[in-house]
Amino acid sequence: MARYLTVRLFHGAIVIFLISILTFAIMRMMPGDPVYLLFGEGQVRISEEQMDAIREQWGLNEPLYIQYLVWAKNMLRGDFGDSLVRRGVPVRTMIFEAIPVTATLNVFALGLALLIAIPLGIAAGIRRNSPLDYATSVGSALGIATPNFWLGLMLIVIFSLYLGLVPPFGLRSWKGYILPVIVLATEQMAVLARVMRASTVEVMTEDYVRTANAKGLPRRTVILRHAVRNSLLPIITVIGFRIAFLLSGTIVVETVFAIPGIGRLFTDSVFRLDYQVVQSLVVLLAVLVVASNIVTDLVYAMVDPRIRIE
Amino acid sequence: MATEPNSNARKPFAMSRRQFLRYTAVGGSAAAFLAACAAPGVTPSTGAEAGAGEAAAPAAEGGGGTMVWMGHQEVAALSPDDTGPSVQYVLIANIHNPLVWSNEFNELEPMLAESYEVSDDGLTYTFKLRQGVKFHDGTELTAKDVKYTYDYYRNPDNAAVRIGDFGGIGSVETPDDYTVVVNMDEVNAASLVNWAGFGIVQSDYHAEVGEDTYKTAPIGTGAFKLKEWRAAEFTELEAFDDHFRGRPAIDIIRQDVVPEPSVRMIALQTGDADSSVWPLLVEDSLALKEDPNFTVFSTPGNSIKHFPLNNTLPQLSDKRVRQAMMYALDRQRIIDDLWSGAAQVANSNFPPTSFYARDDLKKYEFDPEKAKALLDEAGWIEGGDGVREKDGEKLTFTITTITGDQARRPIAELAQQMFAEVGIDVQLAEAPVASILEGMRNGTMDASLFNWTYTTNAVEPDPFSTLHSKGGNNFAQYSNPRMDELIEMGTQIVDPEERKKIYDEVQEIFVEDVPVLYLQFDEWLNPFSNRIQGLPVDPKTADEYYLRANEWTLAE
Repeated sequence: MARYLTVRLFHGAIVIFLISILTFAIMRMMPGDPVYLLFGEGQVRISEEQMDAIREQWGLNEPLYIQYLVWAKNMLRGDFGDSLVRRGVPVRTMIFEAIPVTATLNVFALGLALLIAIPLGIAAGIRRNSPLDYATSVGSALGIATPNFWLGLMLIVIFSLYLGLVPPFGLRSWKGYILPVIVLATEQMAVLARVMRASTVEVMTEDYVRTANAKGLPRRTVILRHAVRNSLLPIITVIGFRIAFLLSGTIVVETVFAIPGIGRLFTDSVFRLDYQVVQSLVVLLAVLVVASNIVTDLVYAMVDPRIRIE
Repeated sequence: MATEPNSNARKPFAMSRRQFLRYTAVGGSAAAFLAACAAPGVTPSTGAEAGAGEAAAPAAEGGGGTMVWMGHQEVAALSPDDTGPSVQYVLIANIHNPLVWSNEFNELEPMLAESYEVSDDGLTYTFKLRQGVKFHDGTELTAKDVKYTYDYYRNPDNAAVRIGDFGGIGSVETPDDYTVVVNMDEVNAASLVNWAGFGIVQSDYHAEVGEDTYKTAPIGTGAFKLKEWRAAEFTELEAFDDHFRGRPAIDIIRQDVVPEPSVRMIALQTGDADSSVWPLLVEDSLALKEDPNFTVFSTPGNSIKHFPLNNTLPQLSDKRVRQAMMYALDRQRIIDDLWSGAAQVANSNFPPTSFYARDDLKKYEFDPEKAKALLDEAGWIEGGDGVREKDGEKLTFTITTITGDQARRPIAELAQQMFAEVGIDVQLAEAPVASILEGMRNGTMDASLFNWTYTTNAVEPDPFSTLHSKGGNNFAQYSNPRMDELIEMGTQIVDPEERKKIYDEVQEIFVEDVPVLYLQFDEWLNPFSNRIQGLPVDPKTADEYYLRANEWTLAE
């Protein structure tokens, strides 16, 4: 177990190292100059020398490998550097302000999605080809196909503009969470319900379910004790994936509902070439994905006795 | 600055808005200053000046309340050096005061300066400061704060964004605590709106914490002081009790960051917000104009919506080809069909509000036949596929629009059809703002589409940076020796009437050479809920009216 963990962690470190180099390279290869962006909006009279003075101050005149090493060294010490755009604000602060916002939304959304999708998926899986099953299939197809953007705006129009029940944007009160959570949950619910249904259908044909049925156990016991426990396994994988989405999957919802989360921070920073923010975020995301993969595997081993970690 | 895929992408260019207003102020009256030098703006020291009459009164009533504005992008920094984006300007300018303010009617209004004098040769500016003006930290404003502010931001070592505004200053002196003398090395007619309009910082504090920290925690003399700043979510200002013009009636100004324009519209309708600093979709603004619950200010812009063209490309280097493209464009149709009519066709590089703008210039009326004739004359003959060619070279180029710029891309699409009618093949591409800025600047891109000024602003006509062959923003790679000569002469002349002759010719060359395909001057539309009382009537310049917030009250 300890050895397994060591190896996994070592591999993870290599992955993160490579990703940091790649991200750095991609950001610097993107055409454009953050200093030009600063002046992009008007007729600021400024000479090339004056622009160069700014680049110098921002450390953009150093050779690239030096810039990388400085950044990597600082990252290892937990110092993410300063934003080019929000001068005077450490990138660390920007990121750690945004993470809780996005994480809270996603946790609620995932909770809501699980609460509805699991029972629905099980029911549909057990009663195949019933009206409920069809409804679930159609519903989840719709849920996956509906663009978040459209759904979000429609909900705002109905519940905020017409009914006046919730604020149109922001998370100032708990009511502000309702619409974004519903939008985020819709898509996840659709995915989870399908996974749950498929997995239930499969498990119901397993020998041990037939055996349980054959020995005359009540149907309720068969389903809850034997079938469901096993059919939950794939859901764990899906949730593992969702953790990576915690950081990246909510850009549209954050834009529509004016939520200062990590998705918007990321896209904003890419467009305005805020190198430090993008690089730090990607590395952080990589760490998160690597960690959640390891954790997912460990959880698997705990839940499923057939899987052993050596 | 480019960000949430859509609206963000437009930011950088569209913002030049603000500049316009600040400068329109001096307009034709630039002469007035310099000539009438001693034109002093004396204000009663009671703290209630003419326009601000009501300001003091409501303070007593303590009407209070929270007024909510909305921006489209984060408020990245709050120093007087960061006033580029409108969403930052309206906040920064409520936190700080300049010596002289070019107000929403384009008139100069003394702020921290009680009066000012300009010497006959235009080389010495003398400002008398108001006494008893308090900073948010309780200290009193003196000449040393002014000197510090100007000296700090004009020092190249400090790499300020607005360093260009301080061009021409030789030294700043403080004969006594309430007198500031600025000595110029060269005449600069736009000085009063440029650096005299720059907010003054508390010098000891700024020197102690440095510019970077100051950007996050400014201390000025403004009617409102910073309460809470969460760049990507909201910025909250609160009334400053000891403001020199009296405490504002409104307790709190909050500016929320709402990237999606339709959501900003809904928030106005539901009453969750009172104004949108960054405009809504044009059609929404026009709808609110008809709504009795709202007042919509409409002011003309000074940036031209245009296609910058790389003039060095062989297929675009002949001015007849560029003229033909102007004739091929039905610009009024673009405005009517794609911009809800909220713009006017551009016929000069100077905005219509400029003192220097001419309206007797060559106009390019929509005339495809003329376009074809010009192209024929230039030797571009229609080939088999309907695309013109010359010496084996096809008349084709690429217009790169900003990624996700859904507002302006349709213009490129319509123009593509119009150009195809006369045998010019246009390809469309998209790229992020940063790439376009660099590509156009370096001449590696053919053409783009955005808003930009081909003057300094509505007041100051100097187009050096965009039309001089050595200009830093010469996206057209345009080079005309006579134009260079005129531009160089233009900045040497003090008398606006004399300068006008120079710029008359600049405009003639501009419309003749067509370095860029100029389309329209957009209208800038800012909606206000009628909950806000005391709004100015019919302002002439965008954004500046937000600086009247200290005179407003909120109806419940």
